[in-house]
Amino acid sequence: MRVLAVIPAYNEEACLEDTVRGLERTCPQVDYFVVDDGSSDATGQIIRERGLNGVSLPINTGLTSAFRTGMKYAYRRGYDAVVQFDADGQHLPQYIAPMAEEMAVTDSDIVIASRALAGGGPVGARAAGSRLITWLIRVTTGALVTDPTSGMRMYNRRMIEMFATGFDVAPEPDTIALVARKGGKVTEVPCEMRERQGGESYLKLGNVVRYMSRTCLSILLFQWLR
Amino acid sequence: MSLSLRILLLVGAFLAFCFISTRVRRNKILMQDAIYWVLLSVLLLVAAIFPGVFIRLSQALGFISPSNFVFLVIVALLLVKIFTNSIEISMLRHKVEELAQEVALRDATAGRSSTEGRSDGRAGEKDARTQA
Repeated sequence: MRVLAVIPAYNEEACLEDTVRGLERTCPQVDYFVVDDGSSDATGQIIRERGLNGVSLPINTGLTSAFRTGMKYAYRRGYDAVVQFDADGQHLPQYIAPMAEEMAVTDSDIVIASRALAGGGPVGARAAGSRLITWLIRVTTGALVTDPTSGMRMYNRRMIEMFATGFDVAPEPDTIALVARKGGKVTEVPCEMRERQGGESYLKLGNVVRYMSRTCLSILLFQWLR
Repeated sequence: MSLSLRILLLVGAFLAFCFISTRVRRNKILMQDAIYWVLLSVLLLVAAIFPGVFIRLSQALGFISPSNFVFLVIVALLLVKIFTNSIEISMLRHKVEELAQEVALRDATAGRSSTEGRSDGRAGEKDARTQA
């Protein structure tokens, strides 16, 4: 199975190179592709000067578009699976192999690296929001997703095609819910994550509330309208 | 609030919801943009079914008629939407220009040999460093 790690990076000069080198060391058989989302810091420069495999978008377009750039790359080069991998060092590359194995054994469309299955997970407002999304996905699709906000997910060929060619598909919990309801198979493997190793988190409290309400509404509306 | 206004609100909310849901189904609008209109149609629905909320609020705020208050709320919501739309259009305009310039410049550099362009860049950097 040819696996590509897509690494969206927006202003991640502090830890991008460490993340990529760690990935290369731990998983030499996994290819990677960095998408610099129009960063205003040295992220693009790091990609070019240190010879990382990746591209720089000329403008900032948001996580969804940056990730879909990586999906198009994977689609055109015929990869079997893509793992969504954070540039900030939160995700540990040693979990990519168990995710790929789970995908091969269970023939899943999406494999999520679940912090909850390993006894961890988000805390505070994010934990409450995460549980709410789990419950919403449960009642609308019947699927059990213990860690819907985990950013580390593996997608199979069918999902790669959907992301590369579709309209309004985001690497977010609402897409997981949509896939689950349309008969796709979503599974999870237990996984631990680190604190981010540098840079600043996008999900501050105000953003968390906005993100959660938008995600929940989107899950509901997707179920009704699509 | 008059019965005819309530019926109009009801019909308006229903039509707005039908319109937006077909657009979503036909991939003509992103969910993130559709959510505003769905919530607005829900608000109209609430105003039509439970006018008491609006009547009490309008009395508390000293409006002569509750329907005036309903109109004001709708106008205010539309103004906010138009304002945020203007901001978004400005940003989109800027991004399209940025992209057009980027593509044009890429064509220009592709015309030359790429190694030539790179060594030029390197030499420039060295100069800057020795000066510093």
